[in-house]
Parts: sequence; C-alpha cells; structure tokens
Amino acid sequence: MEKRLRKKRLDRGVKARTDTIFMVASFKDITYLLSPRVLPVLFFLVIPPFLGPYSEKVFFHACVYGLLALSFDFLASCGLFSLGQSLFFGIGCYFVGIYDHFLGLPIYLSIPFSSLSTGLLCAALLSPVVRLRGVYFAMITLMLPMLLMRLIEATGVMGGTHGMPGITGFPNEILGLYLGIVSFLFFLFFLRKLMGSDYGLVLKAIKEDDRCVMSSAINIYWYKAQAVFIGASIGGFAGAITTHHFQFIGMSSFALDYSILPLAATALGGQGGFAGAALGSMILVPLSEVLRELGGLRMALYCLILVASILALPEGIFHFLSRQYSQFYTEAEVD
Amino acid sequence: MSLLIYGLITSVTLALYAVGFSLVYGVSGIANFAHGAIYILSGYFIWMGLNLLHLPYWLSFSLSIFLTAFLGFSLYWILLYRVRGIPLAELVTTFATGVAILEFMTWAGFSGIRFSLPPILNGSVEIFGVFLDLQRLVVLASGVVLVVGLYLFVHHTKVGLAFRALAQSERTALSIGIESDWVGSLSMALGSAISAVAAVAVLPLGIMEPTIGYEVLIYALAVAIVGGLESTPGMVIGGLLIGYGQLITAKLFGPKWMIIVPLSMIVLVLGIKPSGIFGKSKELEERV
Amino acid sequence: MKKFIVFFCLVFVISLGLFNEARPADEIVLGIPTSIYTPFGKENIKAVQLAVEEINSKGGVKVGDKMMTFKIEIADTRGGEPTTPVHDALMAYEKLITEKKPHAIVVGAFRSEVLIAAMDIVAKYKIPHLGTIAQTPKFQQQFATDPQKYKYLFRVTTDAAIDAMYANAMLDRLKNDFNLNKIYFIYQDTLWAKAFAGIMSKHVKETGWTELGFDGYAAGATDFSPALQKIKEQQAQVIGMVWDVPLGAGIFTKQYASMKVPALLFAGLVPPIGAPQAPKTIGPSVEYSLNLEFPVGSSLPLKKLPKTVEFLNNFQKKFKDLPEAPAVNSSAYDSVYILKEAIERAGSLDPDKLVEALEKTDYKGVSGRIRFDKNHTAIFGLESPEETGFCVVFQWQKDSQGNLIRVPVFPDVVAEGKVILPPWMK
Repeated sequence: MEKRLRKKRLDRGVKARTDTIFMVASFKDITYLLSPRVLPVLFFLVIPPFLGPYSEKVFFHACVYGLLALSFDFLASCGLFSLGQSLFFGIGCYFVGIYDHFLGLPIYLSIPFSSLSTGLLCAALLSPVVRLRGVYFAMITLMLPMLLMRLIEATGVMGGTHGMPGITGFPNEILGLYLGIVSFLFFLFFLRKLMGSDYGLVLKAIKEDDRCVMSSAINIYWYKAQAVFIGASIGGFAGAITTHHFQFIGMSSFALDYSILPLAATALGGQGGFAGAALGSMILVPLSEVLRELGGLRMALYCLILVASILALPEGIFHFLSRQYSQFYTEAEVD
Repeated sequence: MSLLIYGLITSVTLALYAVGFSLVYGVSGIANFAHGAIYILSGYFIWMGLNLLHLPYWLSFSLSIFLTAFLGFSLYWILLYRVRGIPLAELVTTFATGVAILEFMTWAGFSGIRFSLPPILNGSVEIFGVFLDLQRLVVLASGVVLVVGLYLFVHHTKVGLAFRALAQSERTALSIGIESDWVGSLSMALGSAISAVAAVAVLPLGIMEPTIGYEVLIYALAVAIVGGLESTPGMVIGGLLIGYGQLITAKLFGPKWMIIVPLSMIVLVLGIKPSGIFGKSKELEERV
Repeated sequence: MKKFIVFFCLVFVISLGLFNEARPADEIVLGIPTSIYTPFGKENIKAVQLAVEEINSKGGVKVGDKMMTFKIEIADTRGGEPTTPVHDALMAYEKLITEKKPHAIVVGAFRSEVLIAAMDIVAKYKIPHLGTIAQTPKFQQQFATDPQKYKYLFRVTTDAAIDAMYANAMLDRLKNDFNLNKIYFIYQDTLWAKAFAGIMSKHVKETGWTELGFDGYAAGATDFSPALQKIKEQQAQVIGMVWDVPLGAGIFTKQYASMKVPALLFAGLVPPIGAPQAPKTIGPSVEYSLNLEFPVGSSLPLKKLPKTVEFLNNFQKKFKDLPEAPAVNSSAYDSVYILKEAIERAGSLDPDKLVEALEKTDYKGVSGRIRFDKNHTAIFGLESPEETGFCVVFQWQKDSQGNLIRVPVFPDVVAEGKVILPPWMK
C-alpha cells in the first residue's frame, strides 16, 4: 500500500513560551516576536516624507479605509454585521460641515466633536434595530446611508447635490497624513486591547450566544448600542479627517464605496482580530490605484481579484499568515 | 385611474425584480447580490442574439433565458460552493461578481442609445381612458404568470418539495437524501432564469445601461424585505406597497421624493417587523 | 510575517509609480480626465483624437522653433456615474497630473460637482485646463472668487445659462408664431440641469406663459408616468425637458410616445432624442420633437456653416458613425486647435505664458468664433457664428421621401426650415 503523508501542525517554540509568561529570551526570539508588531509601525511612521503628493493621498486613503475596516471588524465581532460604514463616514463628514462651516470651530475641535457626535447619533439611530441579527442588520445599515443621501438630494440641505466646498484644511498635508496614520495605528491597538478585556469578552459572547449572555443578567442591547457608538465614532473620525483633507463635503460621502471597500478589505485580510482588516485595506487601496492604469477594466479586475482571493483563502490572508508565523508543519505518516 | 393602472404596472415590475432574488434566498439562504447584474446581462444576451447573430425574436429570448440559467447554475458551482456557510464571504463573492460583470460590460462599451430592445408587442391600447402600451401589458401578464407558476412549481412538483425542505431545515433535508448543493444550484439557476424573464418583459420599455443592475438590486432587496424574504405572496404585496407608495408620493410631494419610498420602507419594516409582512416563523431565529 | 512585510512593501512600491514612463522630449501630452464610458466622454475623446490626428499628420505644433506632436493620455474619473465619490474622481485627476505630467488638460470633468472640486487641484499643479463637458454656471462664480489662482482654467463650451438663453429665445418664437402658452418642465435633479431649467422657468414666467409644472426627477428615475399624466390632464402644450443621463431619457421618450401625450416636446438636452440614431432606437415617435444642440457642429452638419459639415464628415469617416451625443463634441475638437494656436503664439509650453496666450484667443472654429471673457469662459451669442460661439435648435421632420431628418429651425442665421406643429395640436 502506498505511504500517505499528512501535514502535522506544531506550535513554534517562541510562541509557546511567550503566550502567557514573559521572560528574557534570546535576541533571535525577541526579534521574531517584535518584528511583526514594530516593523509595520515603523514603516508607517517613517515612510510618509518620502512619498510624492499623489502617493501621500493614496496612503491617506488607505488609512481612512483602514479605519472604516476596523470599525466594520469591531462591529462584526460583536455580532453586528454592518454593511453601512458609509453611514458613519458620511455622517462624520456632514458633522464637520456643521461644526466647521456653520459654527466656525477650529479644526482640532471639529474632528473630535464630529466623531463623538457621529457615535451618539448613530447609536441613537441604530439602537432600535440592534436587536436584529445577521442579514437583517446588514440590510438596514446598507439602506440607511442611501436613504440619507436621497434625503439630502431631495431637501437640498447642506448644499444638496452640489455639496459644500471650502472646508478648512489641515495646516499642511503631511500633518493630515500623520494624523490619519497615528489614529489608524492607535485604533488598531486600542481595539485589540479592548477585545481582550472583560468588556470585550462580553461583546464577543454576544456574538457567539446572545441568549447565554442575557441569562447572565446582562443587557445585551445596551452593550450592542455601546458597540455601535464605538464603531460609529471610528467611522465618523475617518469621515472627519477625510473632509478636512479634501476640504469638500458632498452627497457622495454616503457612496457605496465606503461600505464595500472596508468589507472587501476585511474579507480579504481575514475577519476578527483587526490586523486582518488593517492588512486588507493596506493591500486593496493601493491595488485599486495601481489598477487605475487599466481604465475601465479597473473595477472589474479588482472584483475578480477579490473573488479569487476569497476563494483561495476564505479565512483571509492574515489568519493564514499568522498560522505560518506561530506554527510550523511536519509531514507525518497517515496510519 | 391612470394612477391605479400605472401603479399596478410599477408594482408588478418591482415584484418581477424581486421574485428571483427571494427564491434563491428563501431556498439556499444565499443573498445573491449579483442578481442585478444577471438581470441586465440577460438583456444584453437578447440584444446580441438579435443584432449580432440575427436570430428571430423568440429564439434569442429563449436562448438568453437558457444562458442566464446556466450562468446562475455555474456561479453556484464555481464560486458559491466553495464559500457556503461563511456569510461574509458569500456576500462579498456575489457582490463582487455582480460588480465585475457590470463593470466589464461598461468597459466593453455596452452603454449608449444603441442598446435598446424592441418591444414584443407594439402599439398601445386605451383602457378606462388611459393609454397603455402593449409592452406594459406584457409586463403585467408575465408578472402574474411567473408568480402563479412559481407557486405551483414550488408546491406541486418534486423539485419544489425539495426546495421547501431545504428552506425549512438544511440538515433534515440532508438526512433524508436531498443533496443540498444540487438543490441550491438549481435554485440559483431558476432564480436567474426568472430574472431573465423579467428582463424580457421590462427592458424593452427603455434603453439598456449596465447601471440598471445596481438599481434592480436595490429594488429587489426592498421588495423582498418589505414582503418578507422567501415568501411569494409577500413579493406581490411588497411590490404593490412600494409601487403605489412611489406614485402617491410623486403626486403629493413631487417626483424627486420617489426613491425615498422604498428606502424608508425597508428601514421601517426592518425596525418594526424585520421578518417582513409575510415572513414566517423566523422570529425566534432572528431573536426579534 | 516576513512574507507579509515583503508583500506590503511590494504593493507600495508598485503604487509609488513604477509605471512612470520617460516622456519623449518632442511630445506635448494632453491629459483627458473624464468619465470615458458616458456618451459625452466617449464622443469627446473621439473628437480630440480626430483633432490630434489631423494636427500631427500636418507635422504637429511649432513650439518656438521646434516641431512637436500631441499625445493623448486618458484617465477614467467615472465622474458620470452618480454613485462615484467625488474624492475618487479627484484621485483620478491627481494621478493623471502627477504621473503623466500633461502639458494641458482638455475635455475635463464630466459632472459639474467634480469640475468645481477639481478646480483647486488644477490650480495647484498649474496646468492649463480647457473644459468642454461640465455645463455649470458655478464655474464662473468659483472662478470670480480668485481669478489669479484659477487662471489656468478655461471653458471652451457653453454653460447652462447659454443653453437656456437659446431655449428661451426658441420659446419666445413658439409663443409668437403659434400662440403656445402652457409649458411643463421636467429636469434631472443635478446641478447644471436645474440651473438650465430654472433659467427657462424664470423666463417663461416673465413672458406670460403658464407654467404648469416644474418637476425634478432623480438622475436614476425610471418611471415618468406621474409627470406625463399631469401633462395630459392639464393640457400642456410644450414639455421643456433637460436631461443628460441616457437611461432616464430613453425611458422618458418611449413612455412619452406610448402614452400619446399631445404636447410638443422641446428637449433642452436629451441625448437619445437629439442623437442622429434616434429614429432607430426610439422609433418614429421622435418626429416633431425640438432639440437644442450646443454648440453647433456637435452632431448635426449645418449647410450654412461649412466647418460643421467638414468636421462631422471627417468624424464619420474615422469612426464610422456620427457622434451619439448632440452636444459639446465640436467644442472638444476646437479646444485642441485653440491650444495649438496658443502654444504657437506663446512659443513655449510654460503654463503661465500659455495661459496668457490662451486669454488672447480669437479662433474661428466649428463651434463658432471662440473668445474668452474675463472669467475664462467662451463667449456665446444669438446673433452670428462669425462673432461668438453658436448653438442651434433643430426639429425632427419628415423629408420628401418620408425619412426622418433633423432640420435646423432656429436661429435664422443657420435655419434651413420652419418649425412644424404636430397635427394633433392644430
């Protein structure tokens, strides 16, 4: 009979040693542990001055979409499958319009104010529907931004179809870019920490089995509303910095792109754990800019790449890589 | 009177958009976001049959319906089969496929006024003092035939029985020997064929544009949600509500408010009774 | 993890522009950032290609004492699709400008919103920009806020105010000749169309028409029966329609025909009705409809203006068919020649010198005589194509063989026939 082999996965020693215990390890181990955390951060912080004006914009976009993807991933890990990142994004943009254009607040106030207001407003808007699960919540979040877009079109408030140019910009562009990068990294690590805490445990439990959580006398709707607040604040923040960066507000802030791209990024990078979402958006946004060369085929190809990568790696790139990172394979004989 | 008649036709059009979508969702639980793209693609199939192959009318219609059904079928086996059970991946896959189809058609130059289908029946009649073109009657008729036919098919054939079994419980269906992937792919094929029939009826009213695909998807979602995903009478009621709602809004507030109707209806229905007006026994499962 | 980082860097390096190609020194690069899959974008690009080919085949452009040829670089902004974020369209602009380094931009933004938002980018990179699609009068307003900053932007075509001026004059004519006085407006709810319809609406109210309706439809509308039914009930005599998205316009015309609305259709701009291919796609019901073409020569050859005939003949020869869209094509064609002359006068490709030369433009082209006013907008008038840019109103009529043809009816300088009222209105 032919000898058959199977792959046997084993945890790498480094990982096994340092999951819970901290100890002084060899230089090699420390490098191995730190490099995936520190290198990307360094990369993010060092590269901007070397970029041209156009690549700076691409990088900025990648961070904005990254923030939206983080917000999506966060809501998804609480069992709220949201298709409406553009809702948060657009509301954030329009809040900047209110604070900046109508109230004349300076930029360092308008950004935090608009993110918090977005969080509050969206939590209020969505709190009646947080009891929905699965595809139903997805549908309602998909429809809300479209509804708001049409309402702005029909009523003509805040500039109507024309939008409002002339929002205050950042003092210089590189500062805006750094704000995007730093906040992106901050939220990435903040959310990872948050989900690891007791609070995050409750949120994760709601996703896994909400009735079980309810039976522990925890008001899951209150927790879900809080999750929406956090997710929406992050989305609103992304909208706010984009508006200040481009100095323009328009109906198109509610465009489907802002919902689909973060979703696609998360699907590509891998859902859960936030690093996948971040990685996905860092791949997809530059990719879509590279594909611009192809003109009209761009979107079509982009979607095909997306489909192909999802079919090849349904769990996402990040989960694949992290398995490679923390485990190794040996061939073992099948009995 | 005209409001009544045109409202009816709009409603039937909307129901036609939604039937295929809700069939697929009801049977296999796949939210087929490529529905709009499949719809408009079938229109282009007809156009190609007529203008490039110079086939007679009925032949290009049936060819297009067949091709579209095949497309839905292979879509299932090539793409969805691999990601069944991961809702995020399912959704992204169908949506991305749909966008890829639509954007490819845009790129290939399938837009512009050359792309227009001739109506099946030319001319117009006067009913109760309202002029109505015959094509709109075709829409009405095909809507009725499709809904009734689908109801009969699902309730009185063996395949229909399998459809219902899978819709109720996939595991139980498996255990009594229903191959869920086969039934799922059949439902995709049938859903796509239905959207092709809808395209045959509706598209000659205007000209074809890839962007129609997005619009059809939104309306299909709206009708399906309002009526209750997977319920055939729900489609009719959902279509009627949205169709008449739009016309009445147009009359009272002006036409630019029309598009708000389906969107706010979705939001309202999801907020109040998420399983839709005719949704059945999903309450427990959806924790409402 | 190493793989991850390598991949990461790779993607970025690619996006940083490995695609940059060295540019031959003797080429003048024309950038076209527009929505290339809409009829206007498509036909405008063809018109520019035609002009460029003609110029290059005659040796090119004389810059100082060197001959240089034109080269076209196209970027798709997707600006014509209403769901595209404006930011995305701006990215396309910026990518084209920074990577292809065009010496000038022709055609330009499609949607008015994009044009307004792109003005700052163009000003920042100092690239002469000859816009020929977007029709919003907001361009001049924005321009006037800081003419020194925006001096690189020019508009070689009409704007909604000019289109409406022609439409108004045509309506006056209808009122005088046929005593029509009831009108119903339908417009697409976008910036330029609203401005266009608004000016017409103001005019008819001042001149004694009864305005029965002023309906804005969302650009994606697919059912016009509410408005058409009202038109029938209130017995409007003229429908003023301003619409550019082909989808809605196609549905409207088919529905208008099938509902047998007894009113004269006056299309401010509705591509499927005005297009040369209309009898085939819409059917015989286009007969009697009036269409405004801005500017002249965009799709209808006028016997009294030989340049339009020449341009459209060449166009048909090269691309096998007449332009689909009855607007702005001739402007795109002219803009290349205007640019060529300005470069030759300036003797350099320096943007500031080029702008100075462009400001002094006085060019007799297909679309009439083009000069720029203080807001860098081409001057159009009603009197004569020898003096200003020009537009035309035409009507679909049957010729002696019974074929539907487009007959220019207004203004009189270019008219070849008279307006005929449909039989059901007599």
